[in-house]
Amino acid sequence: MSIAAVFVNVLLFLLLAPLFEGVMRRVTARVQSRQGPPIVQPYYDLLKLLGKDRINSARNWAFKLAPPAAFASILAVVALAPFGSKLNALGARVDAITIVYLLTLGGVSVLLGALASRNTFAAIGASREMVTMVMVEPVLAMTLILGAVRTGSLGLGQAVFSTASLGYSLATAVMLAAYLLALQAFVAKQPFDIAEAEIEVLEGPFIEYSGPDYGLFRYYMMMKQMFYAWLFVAVFLPFLRTGSYAGDILTQLAGTFVVFVLIALVGSTNPRLRIDQAVKIYAVLILVALGAVGLAVAGV
Amino acid sequence: MDAIARIESELRRRLGADVKGFESPTPARLFVDIDRRAVRGAAKALVDLGARYMVGIGYDEIARNGTLGLVHTFAFDADHLAVALRASAPAAEPVFESITPDIPSAGWTEREYQDLLGMTFTGHPKPKRLVLADDWPAGIHPLRKDVPYNLVPPAAEDVAYQLDQAPPGTTTIPVGPFHVSLHEPEHFAVYVDGETIKGCDYRGFMTHRGIEKLCQTQVSYNEVPFVAERICGICGSVHAVCYAQAVEAAAGLRISRRAEYIRTILLEIERLHSHLLWLGIAGHLIGFDTVFMQAWRVREKVMWLAERITGNRKTYGMVLIGGVRRDITPEIRAELEGLLTALEKEVLVLKNAVIGDTAIHRRTKGVGYLSKEETARWSLIGPVARARGLSLDARKDHPYAAYDDMVFDVPVVDSGDVWGTLVVRVLEIFESIAILRQALARMPADGPLLTEVPEALPALRHGLSMVEAPRGESVHYVITGEENRPERWRVRAPTYANLQAVPQMLLNNQFADFPIILGQIDPCFSCTDRVAVIDARSGRRHVIGRAELEGLSRRPAGGRS
Repeated sequence: MSIAAVFVNVLLFLLLAPLFEGVMRRVTARVQSRQGPPIVQPYYDLLKLLGKDRINSARNWAFKLAPPAAFASILAVVALAPFGSKLNALGARVDAITIVYLLTLGGVSVLLGALASRNTFAAIGASREMVTMVMVEPVLAMTLILGAVRTGSLGLGQAVFSTASLGYSLATAVMLAAYLLALQAFVAKQPFDIAEAEIEVLEGPFIEYSGPDYGLFRYYMMMKQMFYAWLFVAVFLPFLRTGSYAGDILTQLAGTFVVFVLIALVGSTNPRLRIDQAVKIYAVLILVALGAVGLAVAGV
Repeated sequence: MDAIARIESELRRRLGADVKGFESPTPARLFVDIDRRAVRGAAKALVDLGARYMVGIGYDEIARNGTLGLVHTFAFDADHLAVALRASAPAAEPVFESITPDIPSAGWTEREYQDLLGMTFTGHPKPKRLVLADDWPAGIHPLRKDVPYNLVPPAAEDVAYQLDQAPPGTTTIPVGPFHVSLHEPEHFAVYVDGETIKGCDYRGFMTHRGIEKLCQTQVSYNEVPFVAERICGICGSVHAVCYAQAVEAAAGLRISRRAEYIRTILLEIERLHSHLLWLGIAGHLIGFDTVFMQAWRVREKVMWLAERITGNRKTYGMVLIGGVRRDITPEIRAELEGLLTALEKEVLVLKNAVIGDTAIHRRTKGVGYLSKEETARWSLIGPVARARGLSLDARKDHPYAAYDDMVFDVPVVDSGDVWGTLVVRVLEIFESIAILRQALARMPADGPLLTEVPEALPALRHGLSMVEAPRGESVHYVITGEENRPERWRVRAPTYANLQAVPQMLLNNQFADFPIILGQIDPCFSCTDRVAVIDARSGRRHVIGRAELEGLSRRPAGGRS
């Protein structure tokens, strides 16, 4: 059963991540008085990209390796995730740090591909991506550490479900605010879509990519977005629990849907920030997240 | 003492016998003939008197008297006066002293005539090629009359523009020749240190079409307005009106008041849709696509307004020398007034959303700053200048068409940055609506649309005309010819003046702000609406309407609608 849950995780994420992307596009279109693309457009996009020839324009192995590496790392993350409020066979054997490592591995793969492509715009994008990663990932790490501090265990289940088991505290509330603010940066949407900024650096890290390689990166981004949206629901909205595995999957997906609508609304009503402006906001977020952990240590 | 007398006495005092004569066909124009030795001194004298440099005009008079002519034009905006300094040099030794060290915005004019006429400007700080392609053979100067308009010299391999030396410690980012934030091919080499811009070299004129040469050799007076409209996808009427006014001024023609009113209406419609277009693009450039979509949705009303009057969304084909081609009937007038009311409401919503948005403030305030003094030194114009405390507007300073009858404000702010240009443009939308209302209400009902033009216009007369385009003042200079076409027609679009100062505005800004800093001077592109589909087999012609076109563009490829 818990082995089957691993496959449920992977399948649901693979199947639904493009759908949520489609939802975001539709919401954005509505805000902009547009009709918008069909909700399944991201599937068409992916199919089209994956069906094209593979071109190694940078002519080195790192460039070729980066997209599958990024995709593999996000697959590993979702395989471990306690989706449906239940630790699966793999999740029970790892701790919260593993999740942070694997997520970072995905980001590092993007950087690797960008730097391997030897393109000026990719280099600028990579440097922006690096800054974002270094300054935003700590908020995710703190979120899990907060759970670990409160429950006294770094186990994945304890770290993720601390609010469910111990209820809300001041520390949780502060962390919830920090996570919400960091969410746009986690999913690389306005005002924090700085690394890709097509008008400035032409999709930055991805400029040299095309076809299936680019498709894998797109897929990676969609899965990553869905994971961050789901994690918010799992950590901070324990009242969505129904008690049954299938029921929890449904309520969590519904919660994720709402988070995506929120992301799209914030994204479509904000211009992009410059990296120097964003860094100042990230710095505050890190401090707030650290403060929340401090509060948890103090037992508040 | 009036302005003309003051300028005449000052020029005589400073230049003595190098001033050969004055000619003032109207109180708003002064042509000064000077010796070529005095070009720099005279230009400096005018600038010291408070003049703003507009543009230079070079022309070939080799067949007539063996010389190449050069005119520098200046505006005394507060005195409602334009001054042209005319000089000439023998074709064997076409050397002038450069005025660029005193007047930086003359840099391109001089480089242009170095390319096109083979003139030499001593003391020019950057005498690089400007207009001609990199593989164009040296020694062929296409604006000279002995060069045919359709000359195509063989292309050369391995010739490239040499970029300026990058400042030490910087990386070069190639923005262009094709880049999503540019709408036309042009190349900015941006030198950055990290993400901070430390310098910039520009290579443009990649789609130079030789329109001036074409119109001086191939077409007739009344065909030029239609070519002029195609100079720009946005401000077509501006160029057509500006050209027609220059010819009318040179020939001493007066057109009917009614035609002037209709021209005013055309020009304001263009300003409306251009400013809304710009607002959308500006949103897009800072990553705010919702502003883009909403501004363009509102703009659509203006496009239909234009279509109602002229039959076209763009490129109206309304202007001829002597007047306009179509009337605005009372029925259309009533319809337009209703449309303007609806438009004003929508623009107000847009204005409140944009002006109050602190997120937009963060991306535009303090960005692309240029002081008022620098702005004046670079002779900047239009919203770019009005955002930097300079109250310049050809509609007020050099009234044309029916603008002397209109009551309107010229919004000026002194923030000196991109934010200022945004505020100025948004406020101008409301002024344009006010002008349109007045023009529609007061338009005289009588008077010919097209004033009779004499069979042959007098030859070799000089005419200078300014029109305030949405992005700033357009300048046209016409020398009438003997073959029912202009002997020389010089066009200066506002971007020509404003673009030269962009490297200055980019300095020490972030690379992320490059698109909007360039965008504040307003680049342009055109749009089309209808497609005519002809069935090849039956020859049946079927015009697709708006609803159908929208449906087609939304249908998934190969799928059902």
